[in-house]
Amino acid sequence: MAYTIHTPEGTRDRLFAECRDRRDTQTALTDLFRRRSYSEVSTPEVEFYDLFLRSGNPIPQEAMLKIIDRSGKIMVMRPDCTAPIARVAATKLKHLPLPQRLYYAETVFRSGDQHRGGSSEIAQCGVELIGAAGRKADLEMIAMAVDALRACGLARFHIELGHAGFFCSLAERMELEEDQVEELRTLIEGKNFAALGDFLAPYQGQSATAALGKLSRLFGGAEVLEEAEALAGENEALSYLRELYEALCGAGYGKYLRFDLGLVHQIDYYTGVVFRGYVEGAGDAVLSGGRYDRLVGDFGRPAPATGFAVDVDAVAACRPGTELPRVGTLVHFAAGELDRALTAVDGRAAGTCELSPCETLEETLALARSKGALHVLVLDADGERMVEV
Amino acid sequence: MRQNLRIALTKGRLQDKSVELFEAIGLDCSPIRSPGRRLIHALPNYPLEAVLAKAPDVITYVEHGVCDLGIVGKDTILEQGKSFYEVLDLGFGRCRFALAVREGSDFYGTYRTRRVASKYPNVTKQFFARKGMDVDIIKIEGSVELAPILDLADGIVDIVETGATLRENGLVPIEDVAQVSARLIVNTASMKLHKAQIEDLIGRCEAELKRRREET
Repeated sequence: MAYTIHTPEGTRDRLFAECRDRRDTQTALTDLFRRRSYSEVSTPEVEFYDLFLRSGNPIPQEAMLKIIDRSGKIMVMRPDCTAPIARVAATKLKHLPLPQRLYYAETVFRSGDQHRGGSSEIAQCGVELIGAAGRKADLEMIAMAVDALRACGLARFHIELGHAGFFCSLAERMELEEDQVEELRTLIEGKNFAALGDFLAPYQGQSATAALGKLSRLFGGAEVLEEAEALAGENEALSYLRELYEALCGAGYGKYLRFDLGLVHQIDYYTGVVFRGYVEGAGDAVLSGGRYDRLVGDFGRPAPATGFAVDVDAVAACRPGTELPRVGTLVHFAAGELDRALTAVDGRAAGTCELSPCETLEETLALARSKGALHVLVLDADGERMVEV
Repeated sequence: MRQNLRIALTKGRLQDKSVELFEAIGLDCSPIRSPGRRLIHALPNYPLEAVLAKAPDVITYVEHGVCDLGIVGKDTILEQGKSFYEVLDLGFGRCRFALAVREGSDFYGTYRTRRVASKYPNVTKQFFARKGMDVDIIKIEGSVELAPILDLADGIVDIVETGATLRENGLVPIEDVAQVSARLIVNTASMKLHKAQIEDLIGRCEAELKRRREET
């Protein structure tokens, strides 16, 4: 294999429309973030491995791309933006008043399985609201998640809400060992309907069994909350979700919202509301986030926090496609006419007109034919004329 | 945008059982039974279309969301890992993964690192990892039973249905590794975006499975 002409597994060259779509999507997102007074931060692409081992951080060791530096320390290509930003917030920003509103547009690196078609380089655009707890901060973040996908021009999408506390409060009511709780969580996360029923069969009659048994099916519209209340009784997490939902409906966000009370991934990391965005056309969630009140404290400055990240390329692939502009005109200009030639190019729509580097008109016409251009604009001492190709 | 749900069925034995299940819940599967040259089979009386694929490809199609659902054996799921919802155990295609050794040999009775041959290296790795045991794993594509006979391996991890093939080759299963049966899997985004349609299909399957259980 010629290592000089292939790109490594999981990476790719991105050309033209792909670059433009990625950039346009990023711009749509960052324009929104800036409008809401979030400020951009950029952290190193290479960080110490240890940084990502904190606070139940959910990235498995084998998914991180590692580098050993000259002194033998283990570094990784940044697999996630939240941990570095939490570090920044706890250290560099420690004298600034909270809350801090931060956003980023970066590439994160995760090595996937071979030949599964996944990318190791993932363009992420996201926000973190650090130092704000409670209802208003959660409302701001969920509304922003909806607006982010709207700003990207998507119509058929929804944001799905869950709450880490719901599962935990139910699991606490059961008499289960720690590893049994983990098994239960995995079954609910995988929506393993049948196996969940089998797992819970010996616990029939305990107060939370009915609700846990239905947990993987508790997703959909607001009716899910009622169903969950009927099964689990009075519950803090459920009333909180209902409160958020009503406030968001009042602001016109209701039609974009769904619930999944079986959203129980990374429960050591998330501490409150969690959410994910799904779009028609993407096979996985394109937006993911939630409240993580412990992470910033791990770096020495306790602060509640919430945020989300958007998978930029996945969103870009779901947007309605537009054609790239085509070059229709070449400018053939005589020596000394550079300023007029540039004015002609700048005056036309981007990407539709370019300078000809050729010395003779014949060469320029040949070039125009090979590019499929329709006209050559000739600029010389006699003035300007348009030649059809 | 696709209007119909799309399901990937594992070709072969599971395919027949899947079609039987679908017919039992009232789906007309004639396009799958007489496929002709078509690769995508739309069912005439239910908004579902089916494609037939090899087991590992069923998982790939569902993970990428080009198929919303799939029917595939637990053996393939265990071997390939997963990022999809595994909603139902369909109860057919039952067999088990077992560790088998040459008759009379003592697999565990030595401190020497054991060597295990398997078509399923990940299943094997996880099984021994749970035991806290290091083993050398050798991937074999064809008849795994040959490996211990040729003295390439101390044991094998493989699918066992009746155990007849093992016995004929002087091998005995000494431990179960995992139970296997066909599973209904669902793409994570499809589950959310086509909830009503998918729940209808799952509900029908569940009712039929319950009926079958009560029959036996």
